[in-house]
Amino acid sequence: MAERYSSFDPDGTMWLLQRVTAAFLVVVLAFHFFLLHFVHHPAEIDFAGTQARMADVGYFTTMVLFLVAGAFHGVNGVYNALVNQGLTGTRKRAVKWVLVLAGLLLVAQGVRTALYMNGFLP
Amino acid sequence: MSESYDRGTVEDFGRWREFTAGMWAWVLHKFTGWVLIGYLFTHIAVLSTATAPDPAVYGDTLSTLEGFVVVRFLEIGLLSVAVFHILNGVRLLMVDLGVGLEAQDESFYASLVLTGAIVVASVPTFLEGVF
Amino acid sequence: MSTQEQKPPETETEQDEAEAAETEASEEAAPTPGERRRQERSERQATAPAAEAIEGPTRQLRVFRYDPEVAEKAEPRFDDFHVPFEPGMTVLDALIYARDHYDSSLTFRHSCRQAVCGSDAMFVNGRQRLCCKTQISELDDPVRVEPLPHQDVVKDLVVDMQHFYDQMHAVDPFFDPDETPDGMEEQRQSPENREYIKMATRCIWCGACTSSCNIAAGDNQYLGPAAINKAYRFAMDEREGPEKEQDRFEILEEEHGVWRCQTQFSCTNVCPKDIPLTEHIQEIKREAVKRNLKFW
Repeated sequence: MAERYSSFDPDGTMWLLQRVTAAFLVVVLAFHFFLLHFVHHPAEIDFAGTQARMADVGYFTTMVLFLVAGAFHGVNGVYNALVNQGLTGTRKRAVKWVLVLAGLLLVAQGVRTALYMNGFLP
Repeated sequence: MSESYDRGTVEDFGRWREFTAGMWAWVLHKFTGWVLIGYLFTHIAVLSTATAPDPAVYGDTLSTLEGFVVVRFLEIGLLSVAVFHILNGVRLLMVDLGVGLEAQDESFYASLVLTGAIVVASVPTFLEGVF
Repeated sequence: MSTQEQKPPETETEQDEAEAAETEASEEAAPTPGERRRQERSERQATAPAAEAIEGPTRQLRVFRYDPEVAEKAEPRFDDFHVPFEPGMTVLDALIYARDHYDSSLTFRHSCRQAVCGSDAMFVNGRQRLCCKTQISELDDPVRVEPLPHQDVVKDLVVDMQHFYDQMHAVDPFFDPDETPDGMEEQRQSPENREYIKMATRCIWCGACTSSCNIAAGDNQYLGPAAINKAYRFAMDEREGPEKEQDRFEILEEEHGVWRCQTQFSCTNVCPKDIPLTEHIQEIKREAVKRNLKFW
């Protein structure tokens, strides 16, 4: 073969990541809902309980991954829905960067909150 | 080439009675998707403001919110939206893997029915203690 | 020619011109055959019989009319035609009857009337269908016939297919083995491979699928199911050269290529040749991902 593109095809990677995060989210979202609505009831949740859960490294890591996966899956979904609607050109690029920024802010704030919850940040 | 008669997206949604299963699945998956991403931002915002220096604020915020009947019903709505998006999402993952394409219409109806069943079964738990 | 307005014959003969001039001068001259036919036709059209006037069972056609060049039809409207029903009648038969007996300005494309040319795809009772292949007996009254959605309407039931053809051409819909074999050696394909792409070869370029796709409707740059299927037919052909296959996948993997498909399945549902379009698009996606994963 004479030349081939050397990097990952960006759109194919996005498509795959959307599915990979989807598979992860199916399990973790169901777990999250189950834990916080059925095992514990929302009305009886207090900070001490949350802190106890978040102190567990495995749980904490899962929650952070959950946040990252959810943010990516959701923001990427919104972006694709808009492109399907016919978003093109400059507006598309602008929307893309706004969404990327929103996603990053979401993850940043979420991780901060998680760190407050497990007591790492006072 | 002459002027075109506008046959755009709105015209499509006006024909909702003629939608096939796959079309409903697409529309509902998109709709539930928007709701969920909107909720995610709200959720992180509420949690981060509730995680104040004083730990009591956290518990108080949650129990106050849970005291409103409206919030309980919104939570049931959130459950139905999330469950549908998950079940139809699993169906879409199967389609992407090329599994069960012959029954893709039926699998959509199954995910609708299952969503309904799960939501109905969860209502007692969700409405517990608010009345 | 079916898509043109019926013109009375012998319009340009000298005899007619001479006689027409004469007829203007005096009414007593005998009418020419052409004039007689024109008169009969206008009598026929002036009194298009209602359903009751026709013997035997009838079906009602409600047809979309639009013609920007004619004052009465510049605003789209629906015309009703009652056509006598015969067993085995297709929507195309009914349209032709309506055009031949009621309104010769009714314009629509058709050719082979046996589902191989792809000319008469239209929106019938809420679904994209091939008119020559759709039995009137299977449809509820009134039978609504509209032009294909998501495409510009030129006149009545005729839509501008140029965008569809552009998308088809964008995927290089031709066979390219990179190098042709020396001498007169045949380029053979195994029966299994032929079987594999058999369904993909059935496309008649009717446009029903792309018209049914909501993504194609919203995103003008999306290739559309027909174009992707065409690319599939060649990409999955074992005789195709690796370089050409690479080029093909690069086209398919662009942002507005296969990734836009949301597996709505509308294309599969409406294809008159029963091509499993969504399945083919999904296969291309999987294939593209696999090819990409090989290069870290």
